[in-house]
Amino acid sequence: MNSKNSYDYYLILATTVVLFIISAICICSMFYFKLENIQQLPMTVKAGYMNNMNTVMAPFLIALIVLLGICVPKRLLPSVWLNRFSAVLVLLAVIISIIWNVKVGLAFVLIVSAVLQVVVLLMALAGSKSLNFEKTGYWIRVGSSLLHLGLIMFILDVFFYRYPGLHLILFWLTTVSTTLGMVVCFYADSCGRLVKRTRNIFLRQGTKKE
Amino acid sequence: MMINELVDISLFSRGGQFFMYGLLVVGVLLGISGVINLLRPRPVMERMTVRTLVVVNVVFIAGFLWICRLHYQIYCYLPLEMSEFLVGWFNQHIQGSGMPLLESSAPVRYTVPLWIENEKYYFWFMCYSMMSLAAHSRITRHRLRALLHIMLSGQVLLLFFWFDPFSQPLSGFFSEVQPWFAGSQTPMERLRLFMQLYPRMIYYYNASYMWIHPPMLFLSYACITITFVTSIFMLFVRDMTIENTGYDFAKLGFVLLTLGMLLGYPWALQAWGENWWWDPKICSSIMMWSIYSTYLHTRLYAARSGMWYFTSVMGILCFVSMVFTLLSSLYFPGEHSLQ
Repeated sequence: MNSKNSYDYYLILATTVVLFIISAICICSMFYFKLENIQQLPMTVKAGYMNNMNTVMAPFLIALIVLLGICVPKRLLPSVWLNRFSAVLVLLAVIISIIWNVKVGLAFVLIVSAVLQVVVLLMALAGSKSLNFEKTGYWIRVGSSLLHLGLIMFILDVFFYRYPGLHLILFWLTTVSTTLGMVVCFYADSCGRLVKRTRNIFLRQGTKKE
Repeated sequence: MMINELVDISLFSRGGQFFMYGLLVVGVLLGISGVINLLRPRPVMERMTVRTLVVVNVVFIAGFLWICRLHYQIYCYLPLEMSEFLVGWFNQHIQGSGMPLLESSAPVRYTVPLWIENEKYYFWFMCYSMMSLAAHSRITRHRLRALLHIMLSGQVLLLFFWFDPFSQPLSGFFSEVQPWFAGSQTPMERLRLFMQLYPRMIYYYNASYMWIHPPMLFLSYACITITFVTSIFMLFVRDMTIENTGYDFAKLGFVLLTLGMLLGYPWALQAWGENWWWDPKICSSIMMWSIYSTYLHTRLYAARSGMWYFTSVMGILCFVSMVFTLLSSLYFPGEHSLQ
């Protein structure tokens, strides 16, 4: 296993562990919700329960966002630079969190991730060979980039859901990007054929006019 | 006037029983042929099995059209009519609340979705039935086909004995609206009743999201069930065609599940505010989505040693988490609760 692959492997492993812990907390919360009859209690108690659960979950969500921030540039950078980039990103997030608060720090990581993912998407669209993807194929790369951009947008959307205007824009960006990404990635061959056929039709019409 | 006089529920039930008994007969036949095929080294009664599967699909679709007829009757014959005075009074009080204003000349009508109460199981199992027919035509291994048929047969039995949508159709909905059509209230009582029924109509029965969010999820559940069957088979047979079939359905299911869950999100914010964070059903759905995406990622490495079994276990786990998500609506209280 080369260093790039082992880096990928550990990132996937870390993400899986964090997701597993989040799932375990979710299951515990479901049983706690049922056993303590939270649904029947006054709204203030329910709000208190939600706050407590948010506090329990927060470190793992932060870990997930930081992992996302490290995962995105792996498409762009070689592993040596990826290590340096990750260290700088985490350091900056910590500094921002200390100066302002954790939310701003996480928003910084998310925005950097979104910008980088847009760069990855543009490079994938341009057919760049320098991107590091597990799978080859133009449409798979474009679809995967769109899908992951959608995921980042979704987390940003959850982050800003209290701002209705921004929330709606982010929500539709998320939905379009994720859906289009999944369709293009999962049905890459059909997409390729469809684009080719459409291009041929346009070319034929162009030749007839001439 | 009683609801029975406006919408012929007894005729609907009698007609529905015809479809349910029809389904039971063909479903049991399919199950028997499935068990025989599973135990035999060579395919048995192949042509008969295909025909039975087609008949199951036809009966399912006919029953679904019968359900559509009931819903159309509800739309036509169960409007919530009020006098012009009450409409004016009501409009004054809901102005600025975000709810649409009423018109006395055009009473509000129910557009009840086709997948509420027991009908949702009917819709889900019908989708599975169609997908198993599609999967049947793609695979050649008779034992895998047999597993698909046994699963369908089990679903038909569940529908017949526990989730029959025809025996007491839309019992929750009808008991809600029954007092309105009993018609023995004073104008003020009628207005009070309308104030209970109208928000429920706007935010639940007539909500546009109800026509998108649940059917997408049920379609994805049907896909997950096919993937589950292929994953079980993968534990015993190492065949890329089977893995590909399971993966094709998993892809479709994942697209539908993700889109369905996403489209429920702004509606939940609108209808429940922030109340649904930490709702048990949402927690279990997110877990299911995580497991599903893990399955799709591990599937990339299915050809590597050891990963074959891990991928199939993940496919099975997707189904288990889907069942857990479904049961969570029955057991855990919350915004999605069916308790």
